[in-house]
Amino acid sequence: MIRFSIATILLLLAAFTAQQFMPVFTGLYHSRILIVHLAFLCCAVASGQPLMLLLAFIGGFLWDAQCTLAPHPGDPSVYTQPTESLRFGYSILLFAAAGYLMQVIQPLFRQGKWPLTTALIGLVLMLYFTLECGLISFIRGELQIDRPTFLQILFTSLFTMPLAPPLLKLLSLTADACDQHPQPDVILRRRHQR
Amino acid sequence: MKPLNLIALLLFLGGALWALTRNDRVVRSIQASYYSAISPFLRTGSSLENHAREFLCDTKSAKTLELELRQTRSELARLKLIESRLHSLEAENSELRKALDFKQSTGFKVIAANVTRRNPTTWWQTVEIDAGSKEGVKPQLMVLAKDGLVGIVERSDNHSKHSSVLLLTDEKCQVAARVEGSPEVGILCGHRGTPDGEALLRLRFLSSNAAAHQGQRVFTSGRGGVFAADILLGTIDSVEKGALDSEALVRPSVNFADLGAVFVVLPADS
Repeated sequence: MIRFSIATILLLLAAFTAQQFMPVFTGLYHSRILIVHLAFLCCAVASGQPLMLLLAFIGGFLWDAQCTLAPHPGDPSVYTQPTESLRFGYSILLFAAAGYLMQVIQPLFRQGKWPLTTALIGLVLMLYFTLECGLISFIRGELQIDRPTFLQILFTSLFTMPLAPPLLKLLSLTADACDQHPQPDVILRRRHQR
Repeated sequence: MKPLNLIALLLFLGGALWALTRNDRVVRSIQASYYSAISPFLRTGSSLENHAREFLCDTKSAKTLELELRQTRSELARLKLIESRLHSLEAENSELRKALDFKQSTGFKVIAANVTRRNPTTWWQTVEIDAGSKEGVKPQLMVLAKDGLVGIVERSDNHSKHSSVLLLTDEKCQVAARVEGSPEVGILCGHRGTPDGEALLRLRFLSSNAAAHQGQRVFTSGRGGVFAADILLGTIDSVEKGALDSEALVRPSVNFADLGAVFVVLPADS
C-alpha cells in the first residue's frame, strides 16, 4: 500500500515536470494536453479514498503554485476595479471533487473496461474545466462560457483523453509490482480462466 | 463511512482550509519554491530545445544563409547610419534641454528577450521569456515589442534565466489608457475567449458621450504607477455607448499570435 502510494505521488510529480513541455495548440483555441489532471484522474480511479485525497491536495496545491497570478500592482485609486481571481488553493477542492467522481466509476476500471473508463475520464476533464472556467467567470461578475472557451475546453479534453490508457496500464503494472491490486475483478477472472 | 476515510477527509479539509487562507506574500514564496524546484528540468528542457533549434538552423542551405548574411550586412550598414544620425540628434536634444533648464527625462533601458514558451497555464494569457533575475528582470516591469506594449512581467524567480509575462490580452492585465487627440481616459484590459489572431481589447470607463471613433490610436496614460506614458496600445475598432459610461473595442498594435523578440524595460536605477 505504502509503495503504491509513493509510486502514485511520484507519477503525479513527474506529470508536473512533463506538463512544462506540453505544447499549446494555438490554432485550436489554445487547447493543450493537461497531463497533470490526467495523471491525477487515473491515480484517483486506481486508489482508495485516503490516497485520492492526498493526491488531490498535492495536485491542487502544486497546480495553483504553478498558475496563480499576482494581484495587479497598480495604484488602487486608478485601478479601482481589479479583475478578480479565485483564491490560491481552489484547485485542491476541484481536484477532490473530480477525484470523488472517479471513485464512482472505479468499478468499471476494476472490471477492466478501459475504453469506457477513458471516455469517462474525458467527460470528467470536461466537467472540471467547465466548472473551473465557470467559477472564474462567476467571480468576475458574470456566468458565461462563450464559444471559443467551450471549444478550448472540448479540444483540451479530446487531446488529453487518449493518453489515459497508457497511464492506466502503467498504474496497473505499478500496482502489480507493489503487490497492490487496483483491479481485483480482473485478477480473479484471470485466475478463474486458468 | 470508514473511520480511516473520515480521518482522511478531515485532514484534507484542514489542509485545503490552510491553503485557502494563505496571503499573497506566502503564495508568492510558495510559487518561488515551486519554480526553483523545477528549474533544473526547465533549464534542461530549454537547452534541449535550443540544441534542436540550432540543429534545424544548421540544416538550412548555405545559399540561403549567404543571402541572409548579405541582407543582414546591408541592414546593419543602414542601421549604423541611422544610429549615427540619432546620436547627433540625442546630443542636440540634450543641449536644448540644458538650454531650457528642463529636468532630464529618463529614457528606457531595455534588455532583449525571446519568447520561449506560450501559455504555461490553462486560462491566463502568459508567455515565458528567456531573461530572468540574472539579467535584472523583476516582477511588474513593462514588456514591449517593436509595435507597442506586450504586457507586464508577472514572475521572475531568483537566480533564474526565465520570467513569465502576463500579456495585454489577458483580462487580468489592466492598463490606464488615453485616446489620442481627445481627453478620454479609461482602463484597457483583455477580452476573454478571443483567439490570438482576433484578440480585441476592451477600453472601459470612457465617458458616456465619449468623443472616440474608429481608427483613433490608444496610448498608455502613465497613471497608476505601472506603465510609462505614451506607449502605443492599439487602435479603436468600435465604440459602444452606454447610459453611464462607454466602452471601446481596441485592436492591439502588437501581433500576439506572432511574438518573437520582446524588450523588458528595466528601472532607470538598475
